[in-house]
Amino acid sequence: MAPVELENSSTVSGDASGVSSTGNLNPPPKKKRNLPGMPDPGAEVIALSPKTLMATNRFVCEICNKGFQRDQNLQLHRRGHNLPWKLRQRSAKDAVRKKVYVCPVSACVHHDPSRALGDLTGIKKHFCRKHGEKKYKCDKCSKKYAVHSDWKAHSKICGTKEYRCDCGTLFSRKDSFITHRAFCDVLAEESAKNQTNKLYPQPELKSPPAAAAPLTPPNVSAETEPVKIASPSVRSSSESPNPLEVIMEEAPRTIGFNVSSSVISDDDRSGNNNCTPRTIGFNVTSSGLSGDHTSNNNNNNGIYAGLFSSSTSSPSLYASSTPSTSLFAPPSSSMEPISLCLSTNPSLYVGPTTIQDPHPPPHFLTPLSLPPPQPAMSATALLQKAAQMGSTGSGGSLLRGLGIVSSTSSSMELSSHDLGLGLLPPCSSGGSGGSGLKELMMGNSCVFGPKQTTLDFLGLGRAVGNGSSNPVGGGLSALLTSIGGGGGMDVFGTAGEFPGKDIGRSL
Amino acid sequence: MNKAMILNPTRPVWPGFSSSKSLCGDANCMEQLLLHCANAIESNDATLAQQTIWVISNLASSDGDSTQRLASSLLRALISRAATRSPAFSFLSAAPVSQETLHRFSVIELASFVDLTPWHRFGFIAANAAILDAVKGYSSVHIVDLSLTHCMQIPTLIDSMATKLINKGQPPPLLKLTVVLAESPPPPLLGISYEELGLKLVSFATTRNIAMEFRIIYSSYSDGLSSLIEQLRLDPLVCNEALVVNCHMMLHYIPHETLSSSRSFFLKELRDLNPTIVTLIEEDADFTSSNFISRLRSLFNYMWIPYDTADTFLTCGSEQRQWYEADIGWRIDNVVAKEGAERVERLEPKSRWFERMREAEFTGVGFGEEVGREVKTMLEEHASGWGMKKDVDDNDDVERFVLTWKGHSVVFASAWVPISRVDGALSYIEA
Repeated sequence: MAPVELENSSTVSGDASGVSSTGNLNPPPKKKRNLPGMPDPGAEVIALSPKTLMATNRFVCEICNKGFQRDQNLQLHRRGHNLPWKLRQRSAKDAVRKKVYVCPVSACVHHDPSRALGDLTGIKKHFCRKHGEKKYKCDKCSKKYAVHSDWKAHSKICGTKEYRCDCGTLFSRKDSFITHRAFCDVLAEESAKNQTNKLYPQPELKSPPAAAAPLTPPNVSAETEPVKIASPSVRSSSESPNPLEVIMEEAPRTIGFNVSSSVISDDDRSGNNNCTPRTIGFNVTSSGLSGDHTSNNNNNNGIYAGLFSSSTSSPSLYASSTPSTSLFAPPSSSMEPISLCLSTNPSLYVGPTTIQDPHPPPHFLTPLSLPPPQPAMSATALLQKAAQMGSTGSGGSLLRGLGIVSSTSSSMELSSHDLGLGLLPPCSSGGSGGSGLKELMMGNSCVFGPKQTTLDFLGLGRAVGNGSSNPVGGGLSALLTSIGGGGGMDVFGTAGEFPGKDIGRSL
Repeated sequence: MNKAMILNPTRPVWPGFSSSKSLCGDANCMEQLLLHCANAIESNDATLAQQTIWVISNLASSDGDSTQRLASSLLRALISRAATRSPAFSFLSAAPVSQETLHRFSVIELASFVDLTPWHRFGFIAANAAILDAVKGYSSVHIVDLSLTHCMQIPTLIDSMATKLINKGQPPPLLKLTVVLAESPPPPLLGISYEELGLKLVSFATTRNIAMEFRIIYSSYSDGLSSLIEQLRLDPLVCNEALVVNCHMMLHYIPHETLSSSRSFFLKELRDLNPTIVTLIEEDADFTSSNFISRLRSLFNYMWIPYDTADTFLTCGSEQRQWYEADIGWRIDNVVAKEGAERVERLEPKSRWFERMREAEFTGVGFGEEVGREVKTMLEEHASGWGMKKDVDDNDDVERFVLTWKGHSVVFASAWVPISRVDGALSYIEA
């Protein structure tokens, strides 16, 4: 495997000086980085301060104190005061370079340049929504918003369109309503019982459209089920015991190969219902897949209750105060249709297909869930610890506590923590890589000499095998360097370039 | 090689916010750790692998933020790969990520599932619009639905047909739906049989006054759907019947060149059937590299999206979220830990799909403005990170749509018609 050459190690220290460390309005010097996975690897990454992001009107008229979001707008306004004004032209050079923006909150997903957002408005809105205070409240329901335009957009649709299924579920969008209706059992039973369609005004169904006549007149009629199954009766009426239903009962609750299913070929369509199952490509056997065919419907209440029951533990905009409400499940015939308490609290509209808050509540004020657990130790600290543990010749002992080691491995006894810090006492060979760890912790970079880097960065310069001579200093401390100090040494090449040639081995 | 640009090591420190050096929820840091771990596995370095696994397992979490959950899934897949492929890691035991553990959705569950985010609905809207436009005037419409979501696109198509294809007292066309049943389909798994599914669709069509037939064909993606093609060839020609092939996130299960040439071959066979329109909706990512570390990288830079969007619509710990993320985990495991014929998740980027379509003598058709508006209206009902961008391909000047999450491409939608071969001149096949 070819060691990786780092040609630009010298630039690491170069950019450090210009960083402003106080929360002022001046954006720090722009950083350049190739962004893996981003469409524009040459994009400039810009990190604005929270104050800048929250500020709406940064350009203020000196005469009347009116604020504007863009300088251009301010200039145009100044004309009205008969003040000198100047509109800047966008030079060709400026226009070309794409800018992407990162979130200043370090724990945020968008703090990382590879998750940068492509436009200024986007990052401002993101910051406001996720890390800001929600000042706007909808008067029709209880939803709160941090961004004014979000609140406005919501107010427009709050309580407007509603589509209601017979099973009681409410939808704000027609297509989700239609998709649900197609499969809703309540509906199917209704229409089967009545045999006439109550839901849509129905003009007389003409017998087969003339043009389709060539092949299969009998199958085109609305009454018979064109789907061919090797059973005499194909009507899914709830009155007669339906052999079809029987088949469904027996069928494994999976997609499998049913004895009863058949390929419907055109040959069979001459009205002959007793078609021989004909398969193409596979032998039809009943597969022994998991056949737990308890009724779906009975379980559904429980399934989605999870979405709601958490309301007791954390305040949530999505919570329903009646835990038994199940939005998604059509009740089985033995249950009463579930209806939403529409009148009591509109905020019960939960889930994707109901009138919903199109904007996610900022995590930090109204957690949809508990805040994600923070790791107990930082990456750097963990790496150090791992380095201290040194060579683990007895395979797997380091990972004992994690439950991923096979029981057949001979390993030392460990206190078993669940995914915890199953720490070994420091082993003999555990030199903590030494050189430069201290510097790393203090944030200095550039501690690695090129030689160490290229040879040991990936830990590739060593013999294959169970770390017999594990220069822990090499492999892990180099990793430490990249994480703690380098903060993102992109060893594996840059965006768009697959490191196959660097790593050498393909599969 | 490209110069590796190195990020400024000290991130700006804003008052009130903790320094990034104290914790590592940082995506970049996680990525580096995972890549190092992968490399260690690749080079059979058990020690370094163990150390990195240990570090990552302390940072990742299946209950954490989107980066942590993604890392947790990737780590599991890495361990699985090491345990199953390298003798040096025989001490590891990997909990198998098999289909048995995945949730089997009832139709109603699946119906609401596909609308939790625009991930699928985006493709449905675009494809249905293109289909409707293409089948105007036909008296019979035969749709071959190759879809990951088990016909969830069809109800709205039926509804649109019922309302938009009625012309001065003429009844709407006959609808024939052909679906493919594969032996072990990828998630999301459906909990009922396709026969049952078909029955429901047919009854629904009935309520909308559409006469409908439903047919199941057994075929396998791993052999390029050869049985499907065979059957379609055997179908008698019906006069005035449109053939529509709707490919929604399934074609990438047909192996591509590193395994076999089935993918392009299938498209060429498809072209020979002279379809009226072919819609191709796929996720825009590249998991085709034969180097698993590159694939890991691609995964990291794409699969954060489903985890991130999950945060906006699913409560942490909810069952739905578990199902959703289990499905993602299955895919990740497939890309990282499997090889050869077992590795079925072979997404390739939009540009390559378009190349294939052109090679197979298809030409692109654009979506209209109205579709764009419809998509945007739909997106407004979802979390605000969702967007849509219009994308004009250099090769054919056709404007298509791409679904985006926080600016990153997620899913692309495209529609194609065969190029006529008559007289060597290229022209579109007219209705």
